[in-house]
Order: sequence, then C-alpha cells, then structure tokens
Amino acid sequence: MSANDERVAVDTADVWPDDADEDEGVVVNWFLSDGSRVEEGDALCEYQVEKVSVDVPAPVTGTLDELVLEEDDEFERGDVLAWIRPE
Amino acid sequence: MAQEEPERRGRQTDRSLTMSRAMVEAIAHEMRDDDEVFYMGEDVADYGGIFDSTEGLLEEFGRDRIMDVPISETAYIGAAVGAAQAGMRPIAELMFVDFFGVGMDQIYNQLAKNTYMSGGNVNVPMVLTAAVGGTYNDAAQHSQTLYGTFAHLPGMKVVVPSTAYDAKGLMHNAIRDDDPVVYLFHKRLMGIGWLPAPDGPKTGVPEDEYTIPFGSADVKREGADVTVVTLGLHVHRALEAAESLADDGIDVEVVDLRTLVPLDTETVRESVAKTGHLVVVDEDYQSYGVTGEIIARVAEGGLDDLEAVERVAVPDVPIPYARPMEDEVVPDADDITNAIRTVRSNE
Repeated sequence: MSANDERVAVDTADVWPDDADEDEGVVVNWFLSDGSRVEEGDALCEYQVEKVSVDVPAPVTGTLDELVLEEDDEFERGDVLAWIRPE
Repeated sequence: MAQEEPERRGRQTDRSLTMSRAMVEAIAHEMRDDDEVFYMGEDVADYGGIFDSTEGLLEEFGRDRIMDVPISETAYIGAAVGAAQAGMRPIAELMFVDFFGVGMDQIYNQLAKNTYMSGGNVNVPMVLTAAVGGTYNDAAQHSQTLYGTFAHLPGMKVVVPSTAYDAKGLMHNAIRDDDPVVYLFHKRLMGIGWLPAPDGPKTGVPEDEYTIPFGSADVKREGADVTVVTLGLHVHRALEAAESLADDGIDVEVVDLRTLVPLDTETVRESVAKTGHLVVVDEDYQSYGVTGEIIARVAEGGLDDLEAVERVAVPDVPIPYARPMEDEVVPDADDITNAIRTVRSNE
C-alpha cells in the first residue's frame, strides 16, 4: 500500500520503559479515535508493561489515520500501535 | 461561581479521558490557579495514588503541595481541617474509604461541624477524596462504598461521579466550594490497567475548566416505562440492563444522582411521575441507606405516582473475598434486569 510511504508509524518501542525485562505489553486505553487531529506530543494512548503504565505521545502533528492495536490487545516490543498521516 | 456546563470547546475536543485523568486535570488546573490548593494522602506523591488519583501531580507541583503522609488518618485529616480553617484549600485522600473509621472524629465532628460550632467564624473549604467500591476481590475492609454513611451525617457535601466528564466538572466544583466536600471515586471506573473499567466512564472531556453544580442529577438514559435511580459504577450496570430490556420493549430511564448531598429529589420525582415504576440500585448496604432514602423521598412527595418499587443493594453482610461470593452480593446487570421486570410484573 503506497499510502504507507507517507504515513508515520507510532512505534511501541519508542517509549518502552527502560527498566522493563519483558518484551510484551498490553494496550490499556486509547484517548483518541480514528480520524482525530493530533499535535506532536499529545497523549494518544496508554499501554502497560510489567504493571508500568506508559503514555504514548504522537510523534508528529497530523491525523490519526489508523489504529492498529485495540484496547486489551497484547503486543511485542516494536509492534506498530497506529499510523499518523502528517500535515 | 460559574455553575454552567459550557459548550465543549478548546483544542482536542474529540479527546477521551479516563476518569482518573479527568480528576487529575481538574486538580492540576485548580492548583495552578490557586496556591492555597494542595493534596495530601497515603502514596499520593511518588506513587501517584494507588488508583491513579494523583498521577503526574508530583512532577508539576513538588513535595510541598503533593504530600505523602504517615499512616495516620487522624493526623492528616485533622491537619487538613486546620489548614482549611486557616484559609487554605486542602484535598486530603483516604486511600480506601474503609479507613474512614480511623479518623472519624476528624471527619464527622471536626470537618463536618466546625463551621457550625464556631458560629460561622471559620469555614472548612476542603475536599476529602476516597476510593470506594468492590468487584475486584479485596474483601470486607477494602470494598465498601459507605455512600449512606457520609450522606447521613450532616455538614458534608457528598459527590459520586460515574464518568470522566462528570468527574472533572464535579472536582472543579468541589475544590471551589467553601464547605467540606467528600468526593468518592469508584476504583472500577478509574481506567486502570489492572482493574479494567466497563465501557462508559471514559468520555470526551474538554480541556477547559467547567463546573457541574451539586444537587443536579443527570438522566443518563431517557425512558418511559421504569425509572432506575443509581450512582457510581452502577450507572453503567443499569445502562447495560436497560439495553438488554430494550429488545423486550421495556423502556428504562436511568437517573445518575451524581451527588447524594445535596440530593436532586426533583429530577427523581419527575421521572417517577412519568414512569410510575421505581428501581433504586446501590452498591452500599441495603438497610438504612441510599435505597431507602430515595424511595422515602419519592413517597413523601409523590406517593400517588408510585405504582411499584424495588430496591437492589448489597444485602447486609460484609463484602466477601471469594469471587463467586462477592459477585453474588454486589448487584450486577442481571439483578437490575430482574428488579425492573418485577416492578413491571403487574403491567
């Protein structure tokens, strides 16, 4: 899909807690839905690794184009949470 | 004081927040506006509150204003009452409402009565926050709501939010109120990873400040056949019951009280005047509590409107630890559904 070339991935590895031994996490809460406008740094969602909760900030300003992982989904470090279409 | 609910405005209006984040946003806003506002309690600083009630506040406001306290409810609630009387606006947190007994004199004889005992020479503009409720197997001393206990004793306003939107507006109002407010937040609604909330409490929340006036119940679902009056977690269980009954042609109205003191009797009576059938649902003990009070208020002012009434509450036993036993005593959507069918049984 060529559109992916333009979109920016929200990567679970970007904010992985430093002291976590585990390479698996779970999505706890989404704060925005598909199609929402986001500014760089806005909290998009919250995930949890080894009982530590982490807020995931938007890497760029744009539109939240696709949520890949839903609430309660489990994932591996480095999986893509969502795609943002930058402005 | 502005008591209007504003148009939802500001950036990021499609943003949703968990109830805990909505509460924290209101507290942070009030702390930025007023240096006299501070927060103290057990594990509220470094830990951020064991139910996320103060998450992130230490980083912004520091240890002078976000204070971990020694484990003495008497000492720190008493300190909060004193600070309030001296002109500050403290927020003191009971980690579990069940621990109120340890500091009860400070709550019901000092916090609730000092305005009266001083002949109005001092007032007590503080907020006592507390985590309430069960459904996660924490046994009899960590699972109570005690709504009726606080609402029974005069001198305290009592707030019980059920959604993030309500939680923020009610918290702004609580901190600005010149009288003591007890703000009871249900653990199951906070949106914590290890204690998942039902669908419903996470709502859109404006970034700007807004207040929700006390004594203003909210009709969370309109219906013509049966009125369900409830609060806290059970707003969501009642909504679930209402959805399941809609398929059978029973149209249920769900009234969320939002505050027990002051109590919006008018909204409840108006609803019962429309439906004629009342079910009151409470997560507190049945006897001498919220269910009895609501039914009495309706009967006093609108007995002729009342065709049938049921109440659903915790039977008068300590909350059990074992999961199947706790599930048995804490009302669920099926219990509410059955009560609604019972009040409709003469139709």
